[in-house]
Amino acid sequence: MDSGRNNSRSDQISRRHLLRSAAVLGAGAFVGGAPLTARAAAPPTLVTSIRSLSNPYHAVWKIGAEAFAKSVGLQHVTLVTEANSEKGISDIRAMIAKTGGDMVLNVDPNNTPDARPIVEACHKAKVYVVTWWNKPADLHPWDFNPYYISHIEFDGVTNGGYITEELFKAMGDDGGFVALGGMISDSAAIDRRKGMMDALKKHPKVQLLDFQTADWQSQKAFDVTSSWLTRFGDKIKGVWAANDDMGVGALEALRAQGLAGKVPVVGIDGIKAAVEAVKAGEFVCTVTSDPYWQGGIGLSMALEALQGKFDPAKEPKIHREFNARTVKITRDNVEEYIKTQVDSHPTIDWTDLWSRVASPIVYG
Amino acid sequence: MLELDKISKSFGAVRALRDVSLEVRPHEVVGLIGENGAGKSTLMRILSGSMRPDAGAILIDGRQVVLRDPKRANEYGIAMVFQEQSLLLNMSVAENIFLAQEKPFMRLGAIDRRRMIEAARACLAKVGLDVDPAMKAGELDFAARQMVELAKALALEDRTDAPLTILFDEPTSILEAKDVAMLFERMRALKSRASFIFVSHRLEEVLEISDRVYVMKDGEVVAERLAAGVSAPDLHAMMVGREVKGEYYREARQSPPRADVVLEARGLSVAGAFRDVSFALRRGEVLGVAGVIGSGREELTRTLFGFLPQTSGTLLIDGRETVLKTPTQAVAAGIGYIPRERRIEGLVTDISIAANVTLARLDLAMRHGFIDHKREKSIAEYWINRLRIKTPSAAQLCRNLSGGNQQKVVLARWMAARSHILILDHPTRGLDVGAKEEVYDLIRDLSAAGAAIVLTSDTLEETIGLCHTILVMRDGAVTARFDAPARAKPKQVALLEHMV
Amino acid sequence: MTSTWLSPRAGPAAGSAAPKWRALAPSRFGAIGLAELAPLLVLVGLCVALGLLNPSFFSFRNLVWGVANSAAIPLILAMGATFIILMGSIDLSIEGALSVGTMIVALLCANDSNANNFGWWGPLLALIACTALGLANGLVHVVLRIPSFMATLGVWFVGLGIGTVALGGSEIRVLDRTIRSIAFERVLAFPLAVWIAAAMFFFALFLERKTRFGRYIYAIGGGEDIAALSGVPVKRTRILAFALAGFFNGVAAVLAAAQLGQANTTIANGRLFMTVTAVVVGGTSLSGGWGGIANSLIGVLIVAVLANGMVLLGISPYVHETVQGLMIIAAVALSVRRGRSLIVK
Repeated sequence: MDSGRNNSRSDQISRRHLLRSAAVLGAGAFVGGAPLTARAAAPPTLVTSIRSLSNPYHAVWKIGAEAFAKSVGLQHVTLVTEANSEKGISDIRAMIAKTGGDMVLNVDPNNTPDARPIVEACHKAKVYVVTWWNKPADLHPWDFNPYYISHIEFDGVTNGGYITEELFKAMGDDGGFVALGGMISDSAAIDRRKGMMDALKKHPKVQLLDFQTADWQSQKAFDVTSSWLTRFGDKIKGVWAANDDMGVGALEALRAQGLAGKVPVVGIDGIKAAVEAVKAGEFVCTVTSDPYWQGGIGLSMALEALQGKFDPAKEPKIHREFNARTVKITRDNVEEYIKTQVDSHPTIDWTDLWSRVASPIVYG
Repeated sequence: MLELDKISKSFGAVRALRDVSLEVRPHEVVGLIGENGAGKSTLMRILSGSMRPDAGAILIDGRQVVLRDPKRANEYGIAMVFQEQSLLLNMSVAENIFLAQEKPFMRLGAIDRRRMIEAARACLAKVGLDVDPAMKAGELDFAARQMVELAKALALEDRTDAPLTILFDEPTSILEAKDVAMLFERMRALKSRASFIFVSHRLEEVLEISDRVYVMKDGEVVAERLAAGVSAPDLHAMMVGREVKGEYYREARQSPPRADVVLEARGLSVAGAFRDVSFALRRGEVLGVAGVIGSGREELTRTLFGFLPQTSGTLLIDGRETVLKTPTQAVAAGIGYIPRERRIEGLVTDISIAANVTLARLDLAMRHGFIDHKREKSIAEYWINRLRIKTPSAAQLCRNLSGGNQQKVVLARWMAARSHILILDHPTRGLDVGAKEEVYDLIRDLSAAGAAIVLTSDTLEETIGLCHTILVMRDGAVTARFDAPARAKPKQVALLEHMV
Repeated sequence: MTSTWLSPRAGPAAGSAAPKWRALAPSRFGAIGLAELAPLLVLVGLCVALGLLNPSFFSFRNLVWGVANSAAIPLILAMGATFIILMGSIDLSIEGALSVGTMIVALLCANDSNANNFGWWGPLLALIACTALGLANGLVHVVLRIPSFMATLGVWFVGLGIGTVALGGSEIRVLDRTIRSIAFERVLAFPLAVWIAAAMFFFALFLERKTRFGRYIYAIGGGEDIAALSGVPVKRTRILAFALAGFFNGVAAVLAAAQLGQANTTIANGRLFMTVTAVVVGGTSLSGGWGGIANSLIGVLIVAVLANGMVLLGISPYVHETVQGLMIIAAVALSVRRGRSLIVK
């Protein structure tokens, strides 16, 4: 948790406030597209490239990025790929051309291969860049010194294992549970499931009743869980979901049959509904990569490098390519989490660049 | 009484109707005849409310009315019975009869289905059709569907005080002879309730059923006659604007066929369609097949092109016994087929003339496995010259050609494919007079060049005028064979005798 | 010409010895009958097979929660889609409308992101908004003469766009207990959602069977030009049908918000495909004119039972899609009206 550490450069935009105005005006969320002119002497533009604005994860990412931009008083632009790799890459190239290279970039590449052209374009234009989640295994920041600062991921296996352990603890380390996986071919879904299966091996008295996929969707999870309840009935002592959306769907199916709070549920992502459910005792835990932090810290790294505050080339490899620490939300810290992260935005020390380095990324 | 006063209608530069005036008196059947393109269809569309005239007036009982749409026309007592396919086959007979007229059956916002079926039964009784009104229209045969349409038209009499006028557009073209007789019987009986306008190509039928006949030519009414005082040849002369002379069918150019037989049928049969058909077609010969609907002649032409496989008998092409199971085999054997609906079956109208010409034998325009556009173009240009296709270039899209020229493109395709046997299935249907004459010239050209031709036609005159030999069919069997050399053509009456 | 319907004048040939016109050969009836029954047979077969493999399929709990409750929202969506597909058109805007609808419900009732608490005004406004989106579909399609495929595709994206702008990508939780009770309140052992779906089914069935609107839908699907010649108000009917589909989408949106207790832009993902699948599996022809509301009920149940069965039998998720695809092809293959055209596009 980063709360309360440093209040000097933070902001307090209330998400509630934002949503209220959005709902009333119907058009609050598209900001940051203001035209820019290319002037080499002008202060650098902060640029974020993410998949879309219609999922909660990236929406919060953008809020974090804007919070950071406000804290340093610089202009911020959000580029949206709409899950289209070509659009994502060409938008970034256009932005580089427009700013004359006077920018920094924090990017969540749409697809694994996209990272290479993006990094190469940045390197050529002397633009500092941080990438998240997706890059080819043989593409390394240290091969593009100093402009490719870091690549950061979160370890799905660890997270999948963590929530499994928490679930088993809530089940008293005994009985059967069911598991909802994400899209079959999705690498995050595969990692999280692996974490779950690995943990399961350590608990011989716990039994996996069935594994089904619900494609990350709450509605599908709702239907699958309803059917499970008739198939297994009281044998279900816990529900494992590879993300919170599915976990919430499962929870609502439990609620419909009067079982909410009686059968523990776990998920990943830290969406609001899941956090509230943790608070209500219906979820055991959820895990978040903290997109708010992701949105700001990447820009902060790039900006500090640009300002010469550190030289990426001199950083250790663990700072250049790493799994970041996630934020775990359980009964114990949920009140605090809601107070500092949901009701208001967290106060993050954006200058503490390496505080969440957890482990090196292992390929294979 | 329904009157049309100086109705005119133009489509772009084409004047489809020019000052057409006619009247329909109560309890009268008015025949309306004219060649294709004479303006009958346009007139029918105006009367049924699906088209508005540019000028002129429509009067009902002396009062001018505007037939804004079909519904309005219905309210003024005018209903149209279409050739076919104007019933919704997915809906019941009762639903069809009262389509868009459900109001009298509404109760508390819902349609009272039982009452509607009862009412439909009453309507069907008027036309003597005994089918279950709850049955889907798609389950009826064509004749019965037509009766349903008639019943639908008659249902109008309960909704309007205006005199009822029922427009019949080619009602007999899809009927068998006995159904035609039945239809006429109904019409006569229904004259007490309604007047009719009867449009047909079959002059004898028009004379049989009508009280008066209007003759149209080139968008004008050129004659009005009492049916009792006029003969079919007279009407025909008025329609085409001249005596039907041998010259019309290019008889002078009819040359005797050569000796070698290219297509021979021995006892050819298709179960349920025709049986025991034999003929020998020589090079340069035009063989006509005459017969009414249901005589088996349509099926025969389809069999000769492999659409409808024979069930027994023998077919010899160039002396070799051949069984045609698919059109592809027919094409390979050198047979070409010119269908009646050019736009639908024969010609891909959205591609160029060149592409159409080479469609059946694309390999002729290929080199090293790819289409050689230069070669394709030269093939097309050869045939454009040869058949005098009027077009600025071979790259022209076929949709931009006139009907006659489109027909020539289809012919060019088969000739490019070196077809030496051509099946012409109603080749002049839908063509205007000028285009027809072009086709007649073409048939003479083909025949002179040694092609063997099997022809079916919409009119007996055409068959007699064009052919060397005529087979007459009735009920699936050949009933007569006529030789029709130039200047010694058989009479229509002689053929008719064997047709019905 | 003053006779009334109930006292017909006898026709000139009625009852005379004139030969009767014939219907086509009875064999054709048999064929049609079987094709029309096929979806029902598939459903029954599926249920029997599942019951044999896992008797808990027929347990009351499963029939209520595993089948009926899961089928509620798809059924309502299929009602609207059936009318559209019967006309030979398509409504692709289902997911867009759903996300707008759920968003309105969530933002107006007691929720966790603003202070609103307008109770039932939320669902009401959602219904109005979805109907308006449907109306927009119809107007764009009919007035601008844009194929329904493109028109509704446009409205789909407009709907998603509105959802994205208003929600900013986050999700909103529905805290209003009365609205959530739509999903959970039980009446005679069935959740209210099931009763609502049943009511919508009968409403749609009434429209189809008993009203002029229903008639005209079939007429348009059977042959639009012929319908127009007969005086059917084709444009008005089309617009009305799209607005009606919008209304059904709205009802489904309210139920979805109540069932999942939240609104977000991706809440409707996959609904379009499932709905069209259900309608077609039920035996309604994509080219229009054949099929109907009752068919769609069966189609929805087939899809729901299939999904339920997969879980009941513990079929590996890796083969789910294959099995589902095979079942759908089988159902459609049995019910397709062969012989109506040589080539199926």
